[in-house]
Amino acid sequence: MTRYLIKRILGGLLTIWITTIAVTLLIHLVPGDPVQIMYAQSQSTTPEQLEQIRRNLGLDRPIYEQYLMYMGRILRGDFGTTIRGNQPVLDLLLVRLPNTLLLAVSSLLVTMLVGVTAGFFAAYKRGTWIDTTLMTGAILGISIPSFWLGLMLIYVFSIRLGWLPVSGTDLKNLILPAITLGLANAASVSRLTRSSMLDVLSQDYMRTARAKGLGENIVLSRHAFRNGMINVVNMLGLQFTYMMGGAIVVENVFAWNGIGRLAIQSIFQRDYPTIQGFILIFATVVVLVSILLDILYVWIDPRITYS
Amino acid sequence: MTPPLTSPPSTAPLPTQRSEFRQFLRVLFRSPGAKIGGVILLVLITVALLAPVIAPFDPTAMGAGPILKPPSAAHWFGTDEFGRDLFSRIVYGSRLTLMIGVIAVCISMTAGVLIGMVAGYAGGWLEAVLMRAMDVLFSFTETLIALAAVAVLGPSLTNAMIAVGISSIPFYARVTYGAVLVEKNKEYFKAAQAVGAKPVRLIIRHLFPNILSPIIVIATVGVSVAVLSASALSFLGLGAQPPSPEWGAILAAGRDYFKRAPWITTFPGLAIAITVLGFNLLGDGLREALDPQQRRS
Repeated sequence: MTRYLIKRILGGLLTIWITTIAVTLLIHLVPGDPVQIMYAQSQSTTPEQLEQIRRNLGLDRPIYEQYLMYMGRILRGDFGTTIRGNQPVLDLLLVRLPNTLLLAVSSLLVTMLVGVTAGFFAAYKRGTWIDTTLMTGAILGISIPSFWLGLMLIYVFSIRLGWLPVSGTDLKNLILPAITLGLANAASVSRLTRSSMLDVLSQDYMRTARAKGLGENIVLSRHAFRNGMINVVNMLGLQFTYMMGGAIVVENVFAWNGIGRLAIQSIFQRDYPTIQGFILIFATVVVLVSILLDILYVWIDPRITYS
Repeated sequence: MTPPLTSPPSTAPLPTQRSEFRQFLRVLFRSPGAKIGGVILLVLITVALLAPVIAPFDPTAMGAGPILKPPSAAHWFGTDEFGRDLFSRIVYGSRLTLMIGVIAVCISMTAGVLIGMVAGYAGGWLEAVLMRAMDVLFSFTETLIALAAVAVLGPSLTNAMIAVGISSIPFYARVTYGAVLVEKNKEYFKAAQAVGAKPVRLIIRHLFPNILSPIIVIATVGVSVAVLSASALSFLGLGAQPPSPEWGAILAAGRDYFKRAPWITTFPGLAIAITVLGFNLLGDGLREALDPQQRRS
């Protein structure tokens, strides 16, 4: 267990380290002069000013030196400032990160609740109309674009029925985005749960449990559900990553003030320091949460011992 | 137009002969899902090919009708803020959607399969470096990779296609790598190695045909993923730009008139969903037909 943990954490650190290199290279992959592109839209700047900016960003130095400079700054918590307004990038990101995490976690709850329930019943009622209906719903669910689903929910619940606000950042505004993002992923989770449950339901210990006279509810909850969940819980980390990725799109549908919305704005403004900061923070969060969920998984399932 | 339809059946591992290919098709289309998926894609390809015949108006002609009118006999899907005919725009948009899906999948498949095969075949440090890199990319989600690529290249339809293509490379690489590892240990491969076949011949003549079926399956589903990602980029304003009749772009433009004219956002979304559904259904069918062990009732 300890060895597995150390290996997992080292792997995570490696991923974050590679990200820092990728992020430094990012600005050099831009076709043309990034400084000119960044400032093209903002104000008329003189060539001298551009030169000054280039020097400030360290773009006039060799690339390894730039990398060391960037790393040094990041380790001190300095992610640079935005192109417009000169605000510290890290502050902007950290103010919005809780919103994104709140959305991702709420959506994950919706995904698990809907996906696991649907998958469980589909497997239990295998071959019946319930199974067919649920699995038809699932394949429709993975085919519907999340941004469109979001807009349709806004139309029905906000514009037509007036039950929920169109956008904003208090908790009532979380409902529609969380349902949108949650349902989009519930479809794939329900398919996974179903196939995992089908495996479990055909196991010998299920027959044994029934044969020794246990009630159906106990057989299902204690024997079937727990074992069927192992695969699903194993996918939690991946699902969380999907939620973070999906949040980027959904935040923009609902004007939810998270880091995804900031990222899209900074891509439009060609604000490379913010884009770099966003990628780093995103990668760090995803890596950390995956490690945490992996530990949780080992803790839940006593049969698993990583050596 | 899709990879599975155009790939010559003679190279597929299961159907080596014509009659076997026919039998494969019979197995494939026995499932109602694959049937529906096949029909959806057939209709989509027909619409894309015959767009000038089917569309009653020029997709970019302003004032084809009155502005912001709901669906009617003259304009089946209504009109937008410039009086453009939405039905004609969506019909022409199908060409873009198919192009995006196929080109993006070609990019990710070519690069991914190459990386996966080289890593799986070569082993050693090359394997470690390549697959570790794929793991890192994989953990970032396709959305982040696509966004980073667009941030570098700048927003446009072509760049969105490239970005979506790049974003799925790790997925194809992983599937290919896994398949190669299995094949490498089989008798036929060891025999070919033993008689002194050269690496290039081993990879092209022996490995590739045998890992083709999982790749065909993920490429079919991959088109649906690519269509979804590219339309999301266009929706965010980072892909196709107005006045392009790309479905995600139409949807994005319709947001400004969402309350007054919800049909502008409704129809392109439906078109995306139906297209993606078609590829997903066919992909599911292919998976079952190519992999009889998989149990799905």
